[in-house]
Amino acid sequence: MGLPVSQILLVTGFLLILIGIWGILAHRNILRIIIGFSLIDTGIHVVMVATGYVTGGTAPIIDAALGKADAAANAVDPIPSALVVTAIVIGFSVTAIMLSFAIRLYDAKKTLDIDAITDSKW
Amino acid sequence: MVEALVQPLNIFLFGLGGSFLIPLLYRIASPLPSLAFVLALGGIALVSGACLWTVFHGQPMLESFTAGSTPPYSINLRVGPWEGVCAFSVNIVALLAAWHMWDRLRQSYAALLLFLLLVMGVNGMVMTRDLFNLFVFLEIVSIATYGLLGFDGTPAALAAGLEYILATVLASAFFLLGTTLLYHVTGTLNIDDMIAHRGLIAGPIGTTALFLVLSCLIVELKPFPANGWGLDVYDSASSGVAALVSGAVSAGVFFALFKLLPLFDSYLALIAVSGGATFLFSNLAGLRQSNAQRILGYSSIAQMGLMTLALALMRQLGADAAMPLVVGGLFVNHLLAKAGLFFLAGAVNRPQVDGWTAIAGRPLILVIFAVLLVAIAGLPPFPGFWSKWELVMRAAMAGQYAWIAVILAGSLFEIAYMFRWFKQATRAEPEQVAVRISPARMFPAGMCALLLFVSGYLAADLSGATSLWLWAPLGAAALLFLFDWLPGRVKSLSMLVLVLLIGIWIVSPVEGINRLFAVLLLSGGLVVASASFYRTDPRSGYYPLITLLLLSIAALLRAKTSLEFFFTWEMITLSSYFLIALAHRAHDHALPFLLFSIASAFCLLAGFAMAAATNGTLDLAAFAAAGKDAWPAFVMLAVGFLIKAGAVGVHVWLPGAYAEADDDLSALLSAVVSKVAMFGLFLVTYLAIRSEIGLDMAHLMGWIGLLTTLVGAAMALQQADMKRMLAYSSMSQLGYIVTAIALMSHLGWVTAFYLIANHLMVKGILFLAAAGVILRTGTRLLDENGGLVRSMPFTFAAVATALISMSGLPPLAGFGGKWLLLSAMVEKGWYGLAAIAVLATFVGFLYMFRLAYTVFLGERKAEFATVREAPLALLLPQYVLIIAILALSFFPKPFMEPISAAIDPAFAATLVWDGMSLETIYGYWNPIPVMAITVAIAAVLFGIVWLRYIYGYRRVPTTGVAVFYAFYQPALSKLVRPVAIGLWRGVSELTLGVAGSVRKLYTGNGQTYCLYVLWYVIAIHVVGTLMDLL
Amino acid sequence: MKRVCAILAVLMFAAMFLGLVQAYSERQARSPLAEYYLTQVPRELGAPNVVTGILITYRGFDTLGEVAVLFMVAAAVGVLLGSKKEQRAKTSSTDGKGPSELVRTGAEVILPLIFLFGAYVIMNGHLSAGGGFQGGAVVASGVMLLILAMPASKLDHGFLSVTESLAGVLYVSIGILGIIIADGFLDSHVLPLGKFGTLLSAGAIPLISALLGIKVGAELSVVIDRFRS
Repeated sequence: MGLPVSQILLVTGFLLILIGIWGILAHRNILRIIIGFSLIDTGIHVVMVATGYVTGGTAPIIDAALGKADAAANAVDPIPSALVVTAIVIGFSVTAIMLSFAIRLYDAKKTLDIDAITDSKW
Repeated sequence: MVEALVQPLNIFLFGLGGSFLIPLLYRIASPLPSLAFVLALGGIALVSGACLWTVFHGQPMLESFTAGSTPPYSINLRVGPWEGVCAFSVNIVALLAAWHMWDRLRQSYAALLLFLLLVMGVNGMVMTRDLFNLFVFLEIVSIATYGLLGFDGTPAALAAGLEYILATVLASAFFLLGTTLLYHVTGTLNIDDMIAHRGLIAGPIGTTALFLVLSCLIVELKPFPANGWGLDVYDSASSGVAALVSGAVSAGVFFALFKLLPLFDSYLALIAVSGGATFLFSNLAGLRQSNAQRILGYSSIAQMGLMTLALALMRQLGADAAMPLVVGGLFVNHLLAKAGLFFLAGAVNRPQVDGWTAIAGRPLILVIFAVLLVAIAGLPPFPGFWSKWELVMRAAMAGQYAWIAVILAGSLFEIAYMFRWFKQATRAEPEQVAVRISPARMFPAGMCALLLFVSGYLAADLSGATSLWLWAPLGAAALLFLFDWLPGRVKSLSMLVLVLLIGIWIVSPVEGINRLFAVLLLSGGLVVASASFYRTDPRSGYYPLITLLLLSIAALLRAKTSLEFFFTWEMITLSSYFLIALAHRAHDHALPFLLFSIASAFCLLAGFAMAAATNGTLDLAAFAAAGKDAWPAFVMLAVGFLIKAGAVGVHVWLPGAYAEADDDLSALLSAVVSKVAMFGLFLVTYLAIRSEIGLDMAHLMGWIGLLTTLVGAAMALQQADMKRMLAYSSMSQLGYIVTAIALMSHLGWVTAFYLIANHLMVKGILFLAAAGVILRTGTRLLDENGGLVRSMPFTFAAVATALISMSGLPPLAGFGGKWLLLSAMVEKGWYGLAAIAVLATFVGFLYMFRLAYTVFLGERKAEFATVREAPLALLLPQYVLIIAILALSFFPKPFMEPISAAIDPAFAATLVWDGMSLETIYGYWNPIPVMAITVAIAAVLFGIVWLRYIYGYRRVPTTGVAVFYAFYQPALSKLVRPVAIGLWRGVSELTLGVAGSVRKLYTGNGQTYCLYVLWYVIAIHVVGTLMDLL
Repeated sequence: MKRVCAILAVLMFAAMFLGLVQAYSERQARSPLAEYYLTQVPRELGAPNVVTGILITYRGFDTLGEVAVLFMVAAAVGVLLGSKKEQRAKTSSTDGKGPSELVRTGAEVILPLIFLFGAYVIMNGHLSAGGGFQGGAVVASGVMLLILAMPASKLDHGFLSVTESLAGVLYVSIGILGIIIADGFLDSHVLPLGKFGTLLSAGAIPLISALLGIKVGAELSVVIDRFRS
């Protein structure tokens, strides 16, 4: 059977986060930095879902495959799934705001280079 | 109906309902969104107020459940005392911020709903008991902040906004990850459940999760050095938004940390270090700022650091009982003061500190500004003062002296840059057009100032310091301030009446040595202060401050605990500072005065804390019975009082402040206020008497005293300006008193008191006489005056009497004082000191002669031919003081007996080490025959001098005197090299240099700031892991 | 220097995550909280989809907050980019290059399907995988396609903002109704539970889902439209 499903997901999620961090630190273009943030968010969402997995569990929806009675014994943990919906929406919101700021900054400065945007310092 | 209102949930119904309705209403009619906003925000404030009231009247805990279920299954909200106070104060500030920003807010319905949801979000962060819900509210607050930051279209504001977003989004991502992992290990999201089962949070996953959540909260609080993004926002955002970020947003995050603190019990030291470093370094870097809002930014960040430190420290020390006062007080203090300052900065609208001269001519604005600054500096009577006191006391009891040093050093830096700003605001420039601000614009800042007084009183109540006599000085000053529009002399008269009546009432129960000081300082203060009749101008603000000063001195003498003492001490410091700052010439000297005074006060604070830790009580009476371990407290306290006394080395503040203040104020400062430090020394020498080291320290203090005397006299001789000469003379004379106190014998103390009384009268006369001369001739320079004896005979007579008494010539009181001092020193075997005393007396004689000669004798300058005698208002107090000198000189017994009697009980305990009895003292020094002889000799001498003067003064060329001094001045110049000034200038330049390098960390680059944030998270993780291992 | 610090930081985080992965072992049992939800959501709320049940009732307060977040973003993005739009409109119209024939025709065919699917996902949120957010996002993706395929089409922002406001107000009202006639704020028992597994069941959950879908769809559409330039 090899690696458990949740392990694979977990590693994937953390790798996404690391790539995101690298993106934030290594790129100078603000849009790429924002992509880095999106990657971190996505990575965290994957990790969240992974931690909710219970060995052998199925989706927490009562249907033909999962009866009312055995839901508590066969389903995965529904809470991380519920949380991740909220987290995704918030991640989207933050990305939208960041992009708006980037657009406004580009209008003002005609550049997206983060090194060129140091108005206030010290 | 009322009960339905008192539900934490209603705050969110108002917030969500109101904001969802706003776009709808916008389509219907244009004023409706504003109306809905006001109703919703008012509703939020009202509900939180009702909750707070309920919490303190019957129902200690209010809870709202959601989804028809109970926790941990559903999300619940809770309001207890902590939540109530935090939410209500934030909501009040939010109302004020809305008022402040109203012109901007109402232009866009989006701004209205963002503002409303931000306030609701902060309430949510405060009230929710669910970890993930906390994250959601954190995001609500963050996104509302991002939106509001976007309203300022300037590139700088946008760039700062982006930096802020990058950093906080990183932080909240870690919070999310941490929350998920915490759920994974504990199986719950309910905070109470999680705290109850915190044992489950172990292993690599649990601890990493904790570090992640903790990192987010700390980073959101803008820790040094990962806080440049916060600074840039404070700098470039509009004042209202900056006030919200500094007050409301930080409040929410701080409360979240407070709420989750039980989870972080193993890492309290880490949190404390983070907070302490932030407090210290932010204030250090703040020293170099010149932009008003950036100054406020540094201060905001520092204050959050202080709160974090206090929170962690109190928890670590198990001082939960002190939490409301320490953490709550600091919180409310910062919230109100910082929001008020941001509002004021917005209203004044001068980005650079230099531009603040525009408010120089606006008393009301200045008063509000001063109140806010005093509050942020943690000075009385505001909550920050009581909190810092308690914090320092608690730290001392636990032996955490390093933290006390950090807190006091950081506070000193903060006061330095804050009051440098104030200095600009009081510097009126000739062509400057004073700014006009409508009362409505000033309302939010004014309200903050008012609320600070209210909360200050509440904090004092927590400290148990609300006695009427303690607050009477402030009340009297406030009363007089309300009538500040009256003519000057009316105010002067009411000041004297108020001080007399209230002063007598305050000191009526005082006994012993304190009573002596009370009688002396109160009557002396009234006599000298009555000279203010000679000024006819309104002197805006002067009389309330004099009232505060004199009554605070009275209250100081009544203080029974070190807290009361310190409170009134700081009030004296503050009122003196503002009085000095009122004089235009004193601008450059008021700030050093304040800084040295505050440094002195901080030494006192540390000393009192050490004393409390060894004595186990704040009671001042316990000093007399202090054990052997009390000597470090003595050292700190003595250093504090010596700074305030202008001891050599730390005297650099003294001449400027004394000389450049208003002429009659100089008299009061030198004659009366300086004696307060002497009283303090009397008080604390008890701490030294039980240990060998303590006695050695006292001996050292004796040396310091006489060196001060010598250097002061030598400096006085070098001066060309008569007020500066008198100022140095004060320093010199105070040195004698310090030495007398340091003798720590009965005789020494009697001498000290005698010298104090003498100096009070003498210096009162001399400064008032100088005021008369300056008034009539318009110059303070010794050499420009001359031959005034004919025009101003009464002034000359007063000066001559005072000089004789001061120089120690028979037959006046100074002679008795010197005699006593020499006797006491010889009795103790301090021969070296005695020799220096003789030398100093000689130098003193030189400068005093010069004063009398150059001003009154010598050649009369042609332009002074029409000069008249000084006004009666100045002469009268001088002659009252002369009568007092004569009484003290010729009838010492009625004075000496109460002194002796007052000192006896104090020394009853010290006889163990002294062995000196009352009889031997009187056997040693019997004043009556001595005085009889000296009076006779002096009468003859005086006659000779008088005759010589009558016939010969015109023929004595001024050059002759100049030649005479040409020998002494260079001879003594070695003593007066500006070593001390150079030293302190070096210290300040070094500090500024370090500050300059520290702030280079803030490159303004958002990516670099992200790197700092990430490294901060790593550091917390690594240090936390190491803490677990050890 | 900066780059070295960056690499080191990434490595440090990698080490931190490695520690987490190594310590992680897949869960064998559900937390008591999860078991409670898994049994109670179908039984008490009558919703087969446990996740939706949690989202809309037990963690309904979160969901409301999340709606508020989206609402703020729509407003904030509007302010940030709204003023720029007019001047941008001039410059962008000169480009002249419209989308290809394929995209336009494809959009015409597929758009109704997307909207229909969105509506389905919204309405069946309590029964199967899906819900208001998911459906709203599907609808918004349709709007995005519309914008790409037909750049000339204009969204009626006034209408959308009224819609999202109304949906929000109704959402809060249903929540308040819960206090009055059921056991608390956002309690879904304000409507009868109905027959388990049917469209109109599970109390107020489908209604809230629908409101969420409308609100999210409208808000996301506004946000996407703001970025058009």
